[in-house]
Amino acid sequence: MSRIETIISELSSISNNPKKAMEDYKKETGKGAVGVMPYYAPEEIIHAAGLLPVGIWGGQKSISKARAFLPPFACSIMQSVMEMQLEGVYDNLEAILFPVPCDTLKCLSQKWKGTSPVIVFTHPQNRKLEAANKFLAEEYRLVREKLERILDVKITDEALTKSIDIYNENRKVMREFVDIAAAYPQIIDPIKRHAIIKARSFMEKSKHTAMVKELNSELKSLPVEDFTGKRVVLTGIMAEPNEVLEILKENGFAVVADDLAQESRQFRNDVPLGPDPLYRLAKWWQEFDGCSLATDAKKSRGPMLIDTVKSSKADAVVVCMMKFCDPEEFDYPIYYRQFEEAGIKSLFIEIDLETTSFEQTKTRVQSFSEML
Amino acid sequence: MFTMGIDIGSSSSKVVILEDGLNIIAAEVIQIGTGSTGPKRVLDEALSKSGLKLQDMAKIIATGYGRSSVEESHKQISEISCQAKGVFFLVPSAKTIIDIGGQDVKAIKLDSKGCVKQFFMNDKCAAGTGRFLDVMSRVLEVSLNEMAEYDSRATEPATVSSTCTVFAESEVISQLANGVAKENIIAGVHQSVASKACGLAYRCGVEEDIVMCGGVAKDLGVVRAISKELKKPVIVAPNPQTTAALGAAIFAFDEVIGANK
Repeated sequence: MSRIETIISELSSISNNPKKAMEDYKKETGKGAVGVMPYYAPEEIIHAAGLLPVGIWGGQKSISKARAFLPPFACSIMQSVMEMQLEGVYDNLEAILFPVPCDTLKCLSQKWKGTSPVIVFTHPQNRKLEAANKFLAEEYRLVREKLERILDVKITDEALTKSIDIYNENRKVMREFVDIAAAYPQIIDPIKRHAIIKARSFMEKSKHTAMVKELNSELKSLPVEDFTGKRVVLTGIMAEPNEVLEILKENGFAVVADDLAQESRQFRNDVPLGPDPLYRLAKWWQEFDGCSLATDAKKSRGPMLIDTVKSSKADAVVVCMMKFCDPEEFDYPIYYRQFEEAGIKSLFIEIDLETTSFEQTKTRVQSFSEML
Repeated sequence: MFTMGIDIGSSSSKVVILEDGLNIIAAEVIQIGTGSTGPKRVLDEALSKSGLKLQDMAKIIATGYGRSSVEESHKQISEISCQAKGVFFLVPSAKTIIDIGGQDVKAIKLDSKGCVKQFFMNDKCAAGTGRFLDVMSRVLEVSLNEMAEYDSRATEPATVSSTCTVFAESEVISQLANGVAKENIIAGVHQSVASKACGLAYRCGVEEDIVMCGGVAKDLGVVRAISKELKKPVIVAPNPQTTAALGAAIFAFDEVIGANK
């Protein structure tokens, strides 16, 4: 097995088994993990406390118990998160960080059924005001205080600054990976690409950085081969389950860039420089644009996606619409019209973590491939 | 030269045999679809009626929900591409296609050359599909063939939900219990189907000529309701249930003569 295959295999294994990743971290450091609910949270504070931040993104699951607590039109991620919390899946987490940028998260934060303590915080939506930075920095101060109390640790500014540096380095390496992977679609297919990115949700970031850095370097040493398939940009919350990515692969698509909340939106912006680490983390939210969960009066998601299509030389955009995600559904007609005006083709597919039948997705993807 | 298109849907199986990419030699339909004896029976019937053998086909292309299970085919092409090809062959002025089959509703936008510019499909939901009409036909005890005639006699269409087949079925049952005339209920059912299909067409952008195909296009009550909702005339493709099979047969011909891109 080549070094590239070994790294991909290790990252895929972590991506597919976060429970084992947590257990390994505990064995190695003696410290536990803190869950991080979607979509954006100051993971650096958890990292500075020495614990493992673990992304909670639901999973492919049949829903039954959650039906008693959620309306049928709650989004697919939250349905599966509720189902798993009722099964006690998250009870070994030391705490859970809970941002509430949409109505579903807001309501879910008030009815958590697991046993781990939940720390809820609010992202201001009047983001472009200076007051928003001050408000969010204060929210993060409270998050730090609560974590210190729950975990019985002291989280210093110095440790936090160091963690921000580690995260910014990971963001930079991930952006490089996305660009490099686009040149090697024969090696980094949509499933592998997703696994490499997703693994960062379950790993100590400097370890993830080191592995991806090595992968980048190994990939760059290989000759770039012609790719005869189609190149697409994914947009949405997430592109799971893997069957969806498998269908893209089968139909000759390469993912050359993405605007997924679970993937590039996490690392496309660095935490800015400054003297106060909590203020810096807050400022990240102000500078972050092009996401349905962050109010954007200029609606820049469409133009940003169009730029991404151009810079990545993509043939089209695949819209991975999370089932019953209001914010994403509201954004869609706006950027769809912008795509039409710019002559950019797009495909709409529905993302439902509960589904086990993918015939409709197959038909849509095959038709799209024939259309391009 | 003969080519064949096989369209295996969720509730019917269709075969078209084409001579030299122009003349339809056979166009057969059996009202059972994938996973049943339908595919084999319709194939046998088309060959028997045309007096041809499978070996006479220069190329066979399969399409539809069950396209990957057709062993006789040399290639599979999606039903969206095949509908576009078949409808454009029959109605070259077509710009918008509304295709309602057993379990799918699709709106397809064509360019002036008949190529697919954009398409939208229904979500995983039977509302607005042929299955929805099947359920209503059973509850109302009116055959699918009679529904358009009932609709034409409606005086005040009832309101029938387009959100969910099961809810809509219970609405229809309570309307029957309240003595609402079947004619008015059926007109409401047709409006419900139209609102679902037109929602997809609006997303695509509606441009004339609008052509309907798929098994549901045979129900003129649905065609009228769609035309009323869009406030535009709707053309029903000739033999609308076989347009995708026809498109597949044309694709097969084009491939043999090397005309495809």
